[in-house]
Amino acid sequence: MESKKNTVFWFLVFAALLVVLFLANLGYGSVLISWEEVWTALTNSSGTSETAQVIVQEYRLPQAVTALAVGMALGVAGLLLQTLFRNPLAGPSVLGISSGASLGVALVVLLGGVLHIPWPASLKFVNDLSMVLLAFAGSLVVLGAILFVSGRIGNIVSVLIIGIMIGYAVSAVVGMLQYFSRSTALHAYVIWGLGSFSNTSPRQAAFLFAAALLVVLFSLLFFRQLNALLLGDHYARSVGVNTRRTQLILLLVAGLLTALATAFTGPIAFVGLAVPHLARSFYRSSNHGVLLPAVILMGAVLTLFCNLIAKLPGYDTSLPINAVTSLIGAPIVVWVIVKRGRVKQE
Amino acid sequence: MRKPLLKIKNLSTGYFPKKRESRVLHQSLNMELAAGEMVCILGPNGTGKSTLLRTLLGFQRPLNGEVFYSGCSLKELSVKEMAMEISVVLTDRIDDSFLTVYEVAATGRYPYGSLSGRLGINDRKIISGAIQQVGIEHISRQLFSTLSDGEKQKTMIARAIAQDTPLIFLDEPAAFIDSPNKVIIMELLKKLAHEHHKGILLTTHDMEPALRFADKLWLLGTSGEFEEGPPETLVEQGSINRLFDTDVVVFNSTARRFEKREN
Repeated sequence: MESKKNTVFWFLVFAALLVVLFLANLGYGSVLISWEEVWTALTNSSGTSETAQVIVQEYRLPQAVTALAVGMALGVAGLLLQTLFRNPLAGPSVLGISSGASLGVALVVLLGGVLHIPWPASLKFVNDLSMVLLAFAGSLVVLGAILFVSGRIGNIVSVLIIGIMIGYAVSAVVGMLQYFSRSTALHAYVIWGLGSFSNTSPRQAAFLFAAALLVVLFSLLFFRQLNALLLGDHYARSVGVNTRRTQLILLLVAGLLTALATAFTGPIAFVGLAVPHLARSFYRSSNHGVLLPAVILMGAVLTLFCNLIAKLPGYDTSLPINAVTSLIGAPIVVWVIVKRGRVKQE
Repeated sequence: MRKPLLKIKNLSTGYFPKKRESRVLHQSLNMELAAGEMVCILGPNGTGKSTLLRTLLGFQRPLNGEVFYSGCSLKELSVKEMAMEISVVLTDRIDDSFLTVYEVAATGRYPYGSLSGRLGINDRKIISGAIQQVGIEHISRQLFSTLSDGEKQKTMIARAIAQDTPLIFLDEPAAFIDSPNKVIIMELLKKLAHEHHKGILLTTHDMEPALRFADKLWLLGTSGEFEEGPPETLVEQGSINRLFDTDVVVFNSTARRFEKREN
């Protein structure tokens, strides 16, 4: 029963980390605000300066909530895709689902410029809910293409490779759009592509969090099917899992989670890929009853941590979040793979 | 006579290639499998043993004919209902993961699962019993990926036992296994049939254990021939010679082994 103790231990550790990092995200930023002020600003009691209240409530809180939501959404999406494709390198960005979402955004932002369509002048487009729908539509197009091919091939590993190719093709289309678009639109798109947790309004952050939480909780219902799928399609089918339907539902869930995250914050690299690996190596388990809650916690911990670093507390500026997640996520993936190889040799 | 667990009626197996004539492997097969019976599908490589097994499992469509489980047609059985009839041990490779032997065996309880997915006391008892039955209780907490081929195969059999179905189908269960373990596994399967009244159906290209352990053989030949019967009868009738002998080797029915053809 040692493994059970180990599991509980790490759940407590990461839950504690989550709380600490969330508070740190509220407490630190370019402007120095004391903890008492943060607290009074949060509880909305009188006696706090208006600036502190605005900074905490309008900026830091939504940013932290966004980071948390994106972390759990991408963590779960990554785990689902890795199990469905039985490939440790599957992930939202690898499969071209993020590129699909990017295409949706690019079409609006860039094509408007190319064809001189008078979109609303404000290029603060992320404030628009339609962006979510377009990103979702874009990722659905890629997912749909992947599913269409998978229906004809059936071999899920080939599907993975085709997904990667579709991702390249989509990126090429985006590249062309970029080449022909006007500089203001291009700038806006590039900034979006660098990723940011800070472009969400309090209402959007709340919506993102609620939607991500709902979909993530829905995915928990499938942990036994996912465990059965670990043994392969045939074995899963032999114990009564409707493999086709389950794969379809879970691919849609992964696509929806990716689209939600990407639409609001831009494509965030490596979180979906790294978090499931981290969870497996800490919990030493492939049981999705353990892994799903684990990636929810650890995904949120990782994005909150990255966001804290990106904020460069005390400095006037901040780093693009995508660069930070890549710099932290890539070594994690390498470390996990090296460690795995070593375990196998022993 | 008891009602057969599996009844095959006029079955043709093979493939439907696109825009070409379908490739038939076997035509008009009629056979039955009863509870308490261990049947080996025996044939040289590439005769369609696995194709037959996959067709019976509904993984691929038959070209013709029908398959009945306890009187119900395969076509009308849902995936869930099939899971209550047949458990399987396949040749599919299982990827490296952190699943333990116990967790792999526990997937056999999936068809009985509650929505919450928690294993009840009864489930746990059945899983432990199955693990004991195949004699791997000392490694039940180990990671599946660290096991030897023989231990892996025993784990998959424990999983099939835990699924608690009247039928167990096994695809080449003794391939890649050393001889002592081969005997252990075949003995175990025979015991499951004779003492626990399971219907056991397995494919093998291995003549010796098939002749020794099976109650009945389904012989598949390279050009679509089919013969069935108890091993003794088939050997005496020379069926083995008819289906297996080649220009190079012949089956010696007294020594019960293949020998180089004397000129």
